[in-house]
Amino acid sequence: MCDGEERPNASRRLANRLSAPSGPAILGVPVLLWQVVFFAAPLIFLVVITFWQVKSFRLEPAFVTDNWTRVFSSTSFERALWNTLQLSLITTVLAVVLAFPAAYTIALRLSPRMRDLAIAALVVPIFSSYLLRIYAWQLVLSPEGLVNSLWTWAGGQVLPLLGGGLSLQIGLLTLTLPLAVIVLVLALSSVEKSQLEAAENLGCTRFQVICHVLLPSIRPGLVLAATTAFLLAFGDYVSPVFMTGSNPPTLSILVVDTVKSGSQWPRASVIGVSMLLLLTTIFLLARLVPTGPSRKRWRS
Amino acid sequence: MSVTATRQLVDVSRRTFLTTSASATVLATSPWSPAEAQDSNVLNYLSWPGNADPYLVGEFEKANNCKIRIKEYVGGDQMLAVLNQSPPGSFDVILADAEYMHLLKAMDALEVLDPADYPLKDFWPEFQKFPLHWFDDKLYGVMTDFGYLGLSYNTKEFTPAEVKSYVALWTPKAKGKVGFFDWYLPGMGCVSLSDGNRPPFDIDNAKFANLKKKLFSLKPQASGFYTIADIFSSLKNGRAQLIPGIGEWITLGLRMDGVPVDTIIPEEGGLQWTESMSIAKGTKKRDLARKFIQYTVSPDGQVRQATKVDNKKSIPSMAGWKLLNETMPKEAEILRMTLTGPNVMDEYKAKRIEYRRLPLKQPIETWNETWSEFKSL
Repeated sequence: MCDGEERPNASRRLANRLSAPSGPAILGVPVLLWQVVFFAAPLIFLVVITFWQVKSFRLEPAFVTDNWTRVFSSTSFERALWNTLQLSLITTVLAVVLAFPAAYTIALRLSPRMRDLAIAALVVPIFSSYLLRIYAWQLVLSPEGLVNSLWTWAGGQVLPLLGGGLSLQIGLLTLTLPLAVIVLVLALSSVEKSQLEAAENLGCTRFQVICHVLLPSIRPGLVLAATTAFLLAFGDYVSPVFMTGSNPPTLSILVVDTVKSGSQWPRASVIGVSMLLLLTTIFLLARLVPTGPSRKRWRS
Repeated sequence: MSVTATRQLVDVSRRTFLTTSASATVLATSPWSPAEAQDSNVLNYLSWPGNADPYLVGEFEKANNCKIRIKEYVGGDQMLAVLNQSPPGSFDVILADAEYMHLLKAMDALEVLDPADYPLKDFWPEFQKFPLHWFDDKLYGVMTDFGYLGLSYNTKEFTPAEVKSYVALWTPKAKGKVGFFDWYLPGMGCVSLSDGNRPPFDIDNAKFANLKKKLFSLKPQASGFYTIADIFSSLKNGRAQLIPGIGEWITLGLRMDGVPVDTIIPEEGGLQWTESMSIAKGTKKRDLARKFIQYTVSPDGQVRQATKVDNKKSIPSMAGWKLLNETMPKEAEILRMTLTGPNVMDEYKAKRIEYRRLPLKQPIETWNETWSEFKSL
């Protein structure tokens, strides 16, 4: 039984224990366990499988490097890799370029009430089904879809909107653009308005303020928005399949094809591990970008 | 215990653990449970999707006081993988495409069937001893339904005369409008037929090199490579106007919904897909499995196979045709299964149809890789 004096003492003892050097470590154990069980272990398993072999559609433990050589020497992999890199880069550039003016308006031009509404409008689609949104785009862009119906009604010829680079980028931007805008809105909201006003008072044009004050101030946000857009576009399966009919295939499609044909889990794992390695490299490279504003420029 | 023996035990345990983990991962993605497989009132059915529809199996379940529990697969490769990764006795009945029967036989996954148990004499004579079901004069599968694959086309954009040959695929009019079912076998089979290869899957390496060249020349014509679901939508929304290697199992239903599509067997020939039912090796419910196959090839079961609302099929049983003509004459006409006048057997009898088979002279992998390369061009 505890009396009134013992309870504060017990709470204090617990607080002291947690504030001791070992406290944060104890609190971090569940997270560490989660990461080990649900991230590190499957990842190790994925790497191990790359050395296994498939015999009569059955996955068998082995140690063969054949899967790596087969995948890396295949033209399908090479083409899918370049195609995936190319389309992810285009999406990244488009997402950041389109997101910045939108984020600028939301963060710096709208009233607080309108800003909240705009952010809500960006968040809601993220929680709706991406696949459903892509199907909706199919209805809009297909030869007998909304745009073509209006266009042909106005006397035009059917436009090949679905099944090419344009439709693919529309699909990928559906996935990446809301996130890029949200990241940039948060970054722009943290910029001191007095800095912008000071620059304007010193005679800078709006363009100069954006280039020399605003963009350097939100560099970490820009890097984060670009990295997020690239990672999402690089690994996406839905848009390349439903907006272009797998024509041409991306690495994600190649993973599925490799499993579908002959149950080649080891080769699919090679592609998966390669994608992870590539993304890790890009992520690390992004971290090398200086995140603080350029002091030199400020001083000059 | 010796050190070697201990090492072997450790090794076996590790391997078993890893293999079991891999299998568990695959099986965990399915609502089907191996634990329920042993229930004596449950018939475990490994099949293409939709084959445990109440319209098809409801009467059988009621009559035999049992439940058909389906484990669905899409494609023969996936079927073999599921079978390989499941504990023995997980399935009682397997519905497979006939071209995979020899692989199932090689895996020792099938029971030998007694031909006397099944009404094979009710079948069209051409199908009474279907070659892909017999090995060493023993029966391993019974045909339940079939259909032809040729060239499906948008009837608003192309006339039957324009698509009478696979050459239509290469015409300027078809540029960017040729869709493909994303599976190497039907697509490459039709291109092989267009190259004059009869049979299309039994070709030497020189002919295979020609097939590869011809296939690759189709890439500028491609609108996309579609899953089954996307094939329906691409034909509906006009994204694909010509698709080789599919058939009335897709276009008939769409046409009945008002979509302007049809399928033709071009002059170079078409392919036949065939679904076959077998009893899985090691089943403890052999009697129930046999009864289920008997029901499926009975006249009533056959009519249900032919008239399932989302998947129209041709049936091999003449007794089934007779019942269909008596009870649903309109459907018999739509399905081209009338006993008088032209019907689906005409193309077969005219020797315009080749069985869809797995490649005979090259490894499956070679054909698969060629298809992947074609897609990535």
